Parts: sequence; C-alpha cells; structure tokens
Amino acid sequence: MVSRPLYLFCMIIAPLFCYIFFTTLMDSGLPENLPAGIVDMDETSTSRSIARNLDAFSQTGITAHYSNITDARKAVQRGEIYGFFYIPKGTSSQAQSQRQPKVSFYTNHSYLIAGSLLFRDMKMMGELASGAVTRKVLYAKGATERQAMAYLQPIVIDTHPLNNPWLNYSVYLCNTLVPGVLMLLIFMMTVYSIGVEIKDRTAREWLQLSNHSIYIALAGKLLPHTAVFFIMGIFYNVYLYGFLHFPCNSGILPMILATLCLVLASQCCGVLMIGTLPTLRLGLSFASLWGVISFSISGFSFPVMGMHPILQALSNLFPLRHYFLIYVDQALNGYSMAYSWPNYMALLIFMMLPFFVVHRLKEALIYYKYIP
Amino acid sequence: MKDIKLKDRIVEGINDLFYIWKREFRATFRDQGVLIFFILVPLAYPLLYSFIYNNEVVREVPAVVVDQSNSSMSRDYLRKVDATPDIKIIGNCSDMEEAKLMLREREAYGIIYIPSDFSSNIAKGEQTQVSIYCDMSGLLYYKAMLLANTAVSLEMNKDIKIARAGNTTDRQDEITAYPIEYEDIAMYNPTNGFAAFLIPAVLILIIQQTLLLGIGLSAGTARENNRFKDLVPINRHYNGTLRIVLGKGLSYFMIYTFISAYVLCVVPRLFSLNQIGQPGPLILFIVPYLAACIFFAMTASIAIRNRETCMLIFVFTSVPLLFISGISWPGSSIPDFWKYVSYIFPSTFGINGFVRINNMGATLDEISFEYKALWLQAGFYFLTTCWVYRWQILTSRKHVIKKYKELKSMREDRQGD
Repeated sequence: MVSRPLYLFCMIIAPLFCYIFFTTLMDSGLPENLPAGIVDMDETSTSRSIARNLDAFSQTGITAHYSNITDARKAVQRGEIYGFFYIPKGTSSQAQSQRQPKVSFYTNHSYLIAGSLLFRDMKMMGELASGAVTRKVLYAKGATERQAMAYLQPIVIDTHPLNNPWLNYSVYLCNTLVPGVLMLLIFMMTVYSIGVEIKDRTAREWLQLSNHSIYIALAGKLLPHTAVFFIMGIFYNVYLYGFLHFPCNSGILPMILATLCLVLASQCCGVLMIGTLPTLRLGLSFASLWGVISFSISGFSFPVMGMHPILQALSNLFPLRHYFLIYVDQALNGYSMAYSWPNYMALLIFMMLPFFVVHRLKEALIYYKYIP
Repeated sequence: MKDIKLKDRIVEGINDLFYIWKREFRATFRDQGVLIFFILVPLAYPLLYSFIYNNEVVREVPAVVVDQSNSSMSRDYLRKVDATPDIKIIGNCSDMEEAKLMLREREAYGIIYIPSDFSSNIAKGEQTQVSIYCDMSGLLYYKAMLLANTAVSLEMNKDIKIARAGNTTDRQDEITAYPIEYEDIAMYNPTNGFAAFLIPAVLILIIQQTLLLGIGLSAGTARENNRFKDLVPINRHYNGTLRIVLGKGLSYFMIYTFISAYVLCVVPRLFSLNQIGQPGPLILFIVPYLAACIFFAMTASIAIRNRETCMLIFVFTSVPLLFISGISWPGSSIPDFWKYVSYIFPSTFGINGFVRINNMGATLDEISFEYKALWLQAGFYFLTTCWVYRWQILTSRKHVIKKYKELKSMREDRQGD
C-alpha cells in the first residue's frame, strides 16, 4: 500500500488538499463588497446619498458609476458587476413634490449567491430611500425618532438564524463538502484495491495468504485503509471544530463517532460496488457515479424536500446524506444523539452490505478474468 | 531537391495524421471504457443533474407558529405568511419550547414568534417585532422564511401607514406608503432557480472532466498494451509529434462536437432552462474550449500509467473545480491565490463564458477575456502536448534501440559460441 504513490495521493494528499482548498476558498464566510454599479441620472444630493448608503452595506461595494442602463447591463454581462441600482432623472424633485418617482434595481441571479445577497441589500436600500423622504416630513412636523420609526416600520422582522448567526457559507458548505470528498475517495480506493487484485491476477495469491477466507482477506486489506482514513477524518474534525471554530454544539466526540461510521459505511459500500461489478473499470465507474451524485442528493445545498419524490427516497441510499443529517443534529444544533438514531442505524446498515456480496466477490476473485 | 523533400514530408505527415486519426477513432469506439466516458456519461449525467435540481426552488417550507398575541391582526399576519409560496404553516405551538421540539424532530424548519403586545403596540402607534427562528441546515430554508416574512410585514406596514394617514384619495394613499417607489428586476434567472444557475456550469464541467477521463483511460491502455509501457506505439506512422497530436486531437474533437451539441443545446431545452444565447457566439466560443480541454487532457494523460488510475485522480477534482469557477461562490470573493490557480483549468473560463452567453445573452465582445484566455490555453496546452509527446517518442525510440542492441549482442554472443 505504501509502495505506490497512487495510494499516497488518494488517501492523504487529495483529502488534505480539499480540506485546505474549501476552507481557504470560503475564508471570508459571507462574501463582502460584491461589486455593484449605480446608474445615477438624477445627480442630486439625495441620489448621491443613496449610492453612499448602498456602498456602506457590508455585502455591497459600489465599484462603478454608469451613465445609462445599457452600459450597466453590458458590465453585468462582462461579469464586472453582479447588479446595479438605477435612479432616473428627476427622482428627488418628484419626491419633494409628491409625484412618486420610481427607482429600480437589477440583480443578476445567474450567480445565485451574489445575486441574492445584492438583492437583499438593494431591497433594503429601496425601503430606506422611501423612508428617508417620509422621515424628513415627520421630523419637520416635530416627531421624535422613535415615533418616526414606529410610523415608518410598524412591524419589523427580527431574524435569528439558529447556530449560524453570521450566515457563514463556509460553515454551511465545508461541513459536508469535506467529509464528502473523503467519502468519494474511500469509495474509489476500496474498489481499486480489491479490483486491482483481479486485474493483476494476484487475487488467488491474496486469498491463499488469508487461508481462503474472504473475510480475513477483506479485513486484512481494508483495515489499514480504515485506520488511515479514520485518522484523516479525525484530522478534519480537529481542523474544522478545533482550529477554525465552526459551531460544534455537541462537542467533538459525537462528530468523531459519526466520522468513524461514515468511513466504515463508505468502505462497505465500496466492497458492495466491486462485489456487484467485479470489473475494475465498472466498479470504479459505479463508485464515481455514487460518490459524485452524493454531493447533490445529500441536500446540503439544495434541500431534499425540494426534489422529486423518487429522489427523496433514493437519497437514503447515500451515506453522505445520513452523515449530513447527523452533523446538523449534533454539531450544528447540539441535539442529543437520540434524535438522529435513524441515521446512525442507516450507516450501520451500510456496514452490513458486504455480507450480501462476499460470495460473489470470492467467486470473482478466483474465477474472473480481467476484461479491459 | 530539398523542396521536394519538404513537400514529401508534409504529404506523408498529413497521410499519417489521418491514419492516426482513423486509428484513434476506431480505438475509441472499440473500447467500452472510453465509450462510457465519451458517450454514456455525457448523455446521462446532465439528465440526472437536471432531474435533481429540476424543481428550481423550495416551496412550502414547513414552519410552526408561536402566537402570543392571538389577535385578529396576528392571525391576519400568519394567514398571509401561509399564503406565500415559500412557507407552509404546519402548526401552532403554545410556547417556544414546544416549537423547538418540532424543529428537533425535523417536522419544521422555522419558527415565527409573535409577541403578546403585537397588536396593542400597533394600535398605540408603536413599533412591534416579529421574531423568526430558522434552522440553518440549509440556507434556502432561511431564505424562504426571510422572504415570506419580509414581504408580509412590508405589505401590512403599508396598510397601517395608509390607515394612520387618513388620506382622501387612493393616489394619496400610494404616495403615503411609498414616496419613492422601487422595483426589483431579477436578471437572467427570474425565478431565482437553482437549476438555472448550477446546471449550465455543470454541463461545461462535464465536457472537460469526461475528456480528461476518456483521454486518460486511452493513454493508460496504450501504455499497458505497449511492450515498454510507453505511450507512443512502435509504428512507422507514429514518428512525428505533430501528426500524432493533431491526429488524436482531431478524432476527439469530432466526437465532442456532437457531444457538445447535445450537452449544451439539447439538455437545457429538455429541462426548459434559460437559453438566450446566440448560436454564432456559442459556436465560436465552444471551439477554443474544446481545443483547450482536449490538449489539456492530452498533456495531463502523460501522468496516467494504468488504465484505471485516471478515475482515481480526476473524478474528485470535479467538486473543487466547480467551486473555483466562481459560479456558486462569487468570483469577487475568491482569494487571489486560488483565482490564479483557477486559470490553469479550461473549465474556469468555459463556465464563465458559457453562463454569460447562454444565460445572459452576452456576445463575444462581453466575454472577450474568457474567449482570449481559452485560445491562449488552447495554444499553450497544444505546445505542452507536443512537448510531452516528443519526449515520449524519444523515450520510446530509446527503448527500441536499447532492446535492439540487447538482441543484437545476444545474437553475437550466440554466434561467438
């Protein structure tokens, strides 16, 4: 195992690279100062203050002024800005003379995260711009600030994003992306290490070494993998929760237990894959398909409840889905482990899977010829 | 004399090029493994992904309510929230503890808390607060909760303001509510859909990744079948760098023109995704993308020693490559280091250019940076491919000569006996 650089790459270098990659990529947590433009055709103190206030929002950064909408639209298409705020000519004079001018903002939702964040800021700005006019009138009539605010916004929404108050995307994505990559590599390595014995015609020798017991053969081959992958798993737990201080309200031990379950479940899935398709190439294709789909179907970016009912049922067949739900319950929300028992059960069931294919696998090891 | 020689060489080169092209083409269609990557994966994966994200948005996120006010006004508020497409109120809890239990049991993903002084404060002309609590396992739950509650609160605020102002005409009412009106325009993805945003990027990435896998697989096979584990076979047609690189490249290019047409035109139509690109710029853009991907994959394939190792090395890169492209995590927030790293891969420019042409109707003018970058990459990777193949030809010759010498000395030894 140590002799081949491929093993070193897939078991240590690749996971380490992904840990570092995802966490440093989303280092800022919530994107800040997303480039936005302004089309100010009014050019009064009111319109300039709108631009200034918009720039003061933490997610929006006004990077350019455009003289007309076409230019701004082209800048969006060039990818220079994610949206722009349009203040037509005569806005402030119409507002003063109570003729209800209309400002508008354009946000590019082809870049969903950037578009949504800008939308939030710009909508707020739209409300504030309107409120500023009324507030001026109210102050002139002698209202206090408290009275003015109560008039402007009788109902305010007070949001509490539980356990991720910073809306940190890194917390939201890395907690599943990182174990997901590890799981994908476990699938592939398990399939590869067994499949390559068939390919190189060393499978019989391998079985002989283990007294013709497939169980001993598998354990002997896969337990060292388990150890390495589990160490890599502990490492990311320490890195995410200890070093980067991601929310871990359950303490780290339940997460390490969940990681161990994920490692074992993934290895057993790997055995199932090569057992059902005992050709190295097809086994690896199966592993890639299942591994890559896991990222989408586990529902950490797009919720499973929004998917087709067939996919909702299928999502249970992916170990990462259960790991994700355990993570949500334990590390993110700090619930007791009892609440996630169905998911622990599911991971245990994954660990039973090899028993269904061992006989087929043993046959394959003895009789199969490598088909390129 | 020299002239004719050069001409002969060119003719020979072109003949060899087509020989290699034909051979590679045939090899591709005879190799089940390569076929999986070149045909089956590009055919099936886009369908699967589009199916997963086809609903675009999450509707009717279940939420529970703690209504301490229990007034006609609070009931009105909740009715309106329930009526939004985003939120579905599934129950009324007597206190926060009970509501949190619902969250814990995954029955609901949000809590709307209305304080006891909700309607009395409004009646007194004071400000009141509605608190929303969201499960943060998915940001779309939070988004749904926030959007629905903001929309309803703004609507009710408007009515309250109008009621207090005591105007006489409808027009006055409108102006009281909004002295400056505003309008939001969601560009290029009006439904805010997930598929419309993610699928185009995935489609482009699939082209690059399947090329990496397919070319890597056939390179691994070539080595395994070779006596000396070399990439370039011993064959009189294979004795020029250009003819090998161009011959192979041409055969991949031909296959991928059809694949790209299917992946980039048919799939979005099947799932009625955004598709406002002009055919002209799209075709002009895809040509350098394919060229860059093919030569990139041919260069990378040099690292592949065995048939199956390409899958171990390339498959997991899909996930980081999707993130580094700047489509989900905004490009402006990607640290500089990773931005420069992303310039290594054709997919970065491919994704950004394609999304802008296909989703945003950009022309080549607007994506000139990506377009030029892809041509540069195509040129650069063409050179690196030539270089690695040249090196491979030389090593393969060296192996042949070494073997020949060995055989020769063996024969001499035997003759000597």
